[in-house]
Amino acid sequence: MRRRFGIGFWLAVGWVGVVLLAALLADLLPLYRYDETLAGPPQTGPSWSHPLGTDGLGRDVLSRIVYGARVSLGVGVGAVLLGLLIGAPLGILAGYRRRAADAIIMAVNDVALAFPALVFALAVVAFAGASLRNVLIVLAVLGVPAWVRLIRGATLSFAEREFVLAARVLGTRDRRILWREIVPNVAMPAASYAFIGMAVVVVAEGSLAFLGLSVQAPTPTWGGLINEGRTLMETAPHVVLVPSVVMFLTVLSFNLVGDRLRALTDVRESGLEPVRQVTVSPMPVAEHQVRDTLLQAEDVRTHFATPRGLVKAVDGVSFTLERGRTLAIVGESGSGKSMLIRSILGLLPGSAVRGGKVYLSGDDLTARTPAEMRSVLGPRLGTVFQDPMTALNPVRTIGTQVTEPLRVHRGLGRKEAHAEAVRLLASVGIADPVRMLRRYPHQLSGGMRQRVTIAMALSCGPDVLFADEPTTALDVTIQDQVLRLLHQLREEHHMAVVLVSHDLSVVARWADEVIVMYAGKVVERGPAAEVFRRPRMPYTQALLQAAPRLSDPVHHRLREIPGRPPDLVDLPPGCSFRPRCAYAQDRCGQEAPPLVGVALANGAPVNGSGHQYACWYPRPIETAIAEGAESSGR
Amino acid sequence: MAGSGKSHLRPRDEVLLRVEDLVVEFPAGRGRTVRAVSGVSFDLARGETLGIVGESGCGKSSAARALVQLPPPRSGSVRLDGQELTALRGEALRRTRRQLQMIFQDPISSLNPRRRVREIVGEGPRVWNLPGDRVDEVLEAVGLDPATAAVRRPHEFSGGQCQRISIARALILDPEVVICDEPVSALDVSVQAQILGLLEDLKARYRLTLVFIAHDLAVVKNVSDRIMVMYLGKVCELAPSADLISRPAHPYTRALIASIPDGGLDLPPSDTLISGEPPSPVDPPSGCRFRTRCPRARERCAAEEPQIRQVGADHWLACHYPALPDVEPPVQPAI
Ligand SMILES: Nc1ncnc2c1ncn2[C@@H]1O[C@H](COP(=O)(O)OP(=O)(O)OP(=O)(O)O)[C@@H](O)[C@H]1O
Ligand code: SF4
Ligand code: SF4
Ligand SMILES: [Mg+2]
Repeated sequence: MRRRFGIGFWLAVGWVGVVLLAALLADLLPLYRYDETLAGPPQTGPSWSHPLGTDGLGRDVLSRIVYGARVSLGVGVGAVLLGLLIGAPLGILAGYRRRAADAIIMAVNDVALAFPALVFALAVVAFAGASLRNVLIVLAVLGVPAWVRLIRGATLSFAEREFVLAARVLGTRDRRILWREIVPNVAMPAASYAFIGMAVVVVAEGSLAFLGLSVQAPTPTWGGLINEGRTLMETAPHVVLVPSVVMFLTVLSFNLVGDRLRALTDVRESGLEPVRQVTVSPMPVAEHQVRDTLLQAEDVRTHFATPRGLVKAVDGVSFTLERGRTLAIVGESGSGKSMLIRSILGLLPGSAVRGGKVYLSGDDLTARTPAEMRSVLGPRLGTVFQDPMTALNPVRTIGTQVTEPLRVHRGLGRKEAHAEAVRLLASVGIADPVRMLRRYPHQLSGGMRQRVTIAMALSCGPDVLFADEPTTALDVTIQDQVLRLLHQLREEHHMAVVLVSHDLSVVARWADEVIVMYAGKVVERGPAAEVFRRPRMPYTQALLQAAPRLSDPVHHRLREIPGRPPDLVDLPPGCSFRPRCAYAQDRCGQEAPPLVGVALANGAPVNGSGHQYACWYPRPIETAIAEGAESSGR
Repeated sequence: MAGSGKSHLRPRDEVLLRVEDLVVEFPAGRGRTVRAVSGVSFDLARGETLGIVGESGCGKSSAARALVQLPPPRSGSVRLDGQELTALRGEALRRTRRQLQMIFQDPISSLNPRRRVREIVGEGPRVWNLPGDRVDEVLEAVGLDPATAAVRRPHEFSGGQCQRISIARALILDPEVVICDEPVSALDVSVQAQILGLLEDLKARYRLTLVFIAHDLAVVKNVSDRIMVMYLGKVCELAPSADLISRPAHPYTRALIASIPDGGLDLPPSDTLISGEPPSPVDPPSGCRFRTRCPRARERCAAEEPQIRQVGADHWLACHYPALPDVEPPVQPAI
């Protein structure tokens, strides 16, 4: 827990706690009375009897700060809680009930938000009289619209989640849904906002007090103390400094606590853990020779240092790829397919550490700086990702986005670029390219957007096209069109394609070569037809038999792989697949099996393009043929 | 349906769930309407699994939610065990909920992140004032270890395990019908196989009747007794699973099958069977809704909506010019 929040959070909590306790227990503490004049010599600095000195009238500053905290914190906490008490039910009502309730509440709320807040506060306090109660009420009311908006937003986002729908399907009554399903989820953002709100209110009360519009003397408040001390700035600066510092620290602490709480809710939701930068020693690259081929990856590694441990997302992947071929990378979610591609392209998140070498026509890409990569990405390496929206800028037209690389990389003029863009869009099967160029991404369907990103990836005539799950977000009929298109373009442009997919039937149909990944490692590879017909590694085989096929009989029992992919920070020793493997023996838990060629079964690793697998006890070819043929249906 | 009609419905006393002329519409702003489901009828016999396939936006999920009346359909009838659900409101509707449960696509967002598994699964019995002692039993039935799983929160589980928890939550009420809306679409192949196997086991153990919705025809075929193909809010074809895959008659069904690599059928490539993209459900084509992409479309398809008719044993179809050689176009109704 401590680790998750960080030391700053606990210091902040500690400070708020101390101030709060002091304020609550002020009467029990061995303090001077806050209004006792000449408790000590006036305007003296810190001493044993007056740890924070005395003010102009000889009153004890420590005592005045502690009693001042009663007002400042009282107003801060009180106003926020009161605002929450009024705002939360309204926000929840608006967010959960929607329609009329929402429309009315939000209309009123918007008007309220438009009020010049502080002016309003000044006016009311000036009119109704400056008392603790009035200040508290005014500041609370001022906070209500923000509360309504926040709580409504949070409620809305949860009311649309399927677990709320599920609760209604169960027959849960509305009231219980609100209390059980929605309120607990809204509570965390509300708590974080409450702390930030307290900081705001403490400052606001300070300002009012400074202007003499808060609680009246002799009751001390922090703002009032600062105001009084102002005149003594030259002779006794501590009188103004001490309350200022105390107020500053308190406001800072509130903000810090609020921020950390908010970060916590965000983390919970994304499931991502904040990454601490840990220095990882550079990874040595195994000795290798640079081949005369289009793309060569040698021992590519991608590691992340996470709070839980080192994640080896990609752990030593090598391959070569020629023009006119399609290499497919398959594996389950989290097996490292995307990270492999990103490593090759040098498009890793900042927290990643990369190892290994990547050569494009013999040219070492890993030696390039990000700036130098830019002349390769696009012109020579094209990319298409799963979600076309991430590749397209939502606020710019398709036209500007398609023509830009043409003008930057190919130096075309405006007119030429436009003509070329029209040609490109037509080549990816877009019916009315001229009109398409004027549209915005959100006006297109998913399939059309993906065609546009393919057109963009092709615009500079790349040598290799990287497609990471290019059709996963698309409908089957569209998916087929897009894959067909990719294949056809590969032929026309004489490029190589790296296709990442979790869909085995797609890979079986469109790839020449295939790499099967499991927990960051290559477990089997080779010509696609061969690997699919005669899988040797138990995981590949099980994966093939787990996928339903149209040719299977109805109610056909699929092969179930027990368990789930391993946690990358806690890999089993030896073969990563061992806990799920039906054929595991002792050796599997002791040594990781190397990638060996089918031809050379003597255990020596083979380089090259043959069929290779990483397994100590591969499935015999005979049964592999039988089971594999039955399972792949090819 | 590309067409409408109810001739394919079985006699009322033979079916557990009967849906007639279901219409679901949503406002689309500026006075326009999304026609998500337009006159869909189907029925389910006790113990049967009906698969519903179609592309995204064809109205699968809208139909599923209309079955549980969340929200209720614009019009049409949903009859569960003889009781008309669309006529019920408030408490009366709530009382029928035990019989009809649902499983959703997104395993993560279908579980409340702040509650523990025991509370999530035990919610049903608590709402219905039933003894909560079956939590362990159903957790075990879906393949989770009650001792370790029950006290944890959803984020400590993988997608497949979350889906198991959702299934347990639905099962604990002993429902008659479970509607599974893309229950395996978000899962990896190996986990998908586990969940499909689990559904089959549970179906036998708890005598369930299932509606299984998915966009993946191979997955649907694996679990369904009958399959209904939907396109843009209409029914295209309905047949026993094996029959639908081996003798697809509707041009859209054929295109769907052909676009699956390894379809196992000798069909021409899918791009000669289908082109372009689905039109917007805000402004669906006249006549047959598939006609803008259909290679067999003729004038009649724009003028007249095809009605569902029988083309084989329990094989139903809504198309004027189907692709089966032995099926004649229906006679033009005499006006
Ligand atoms: N920024 C990061 N910090 C720590 N770990 C990360 C980070 N990004 C990715 N990972 C981990 O790297 C591993 C491989 O991720 P990757 O995205 O390559 O998988 P994938 O095979 O593409 O999966 P999917 O099929 O889901 O796209 C995962 O375990 C993931 O959690
Ligand atoms: S090495 Fe052993 S555990 Fe790993 S896949 Fe082969 S048989 Fe299974
Ligand atoms: S042939 Fe006509 S009726 Fe049949 S699917 Fe095509 S467009 Fe529709
Ligand atoms: Mg990926």
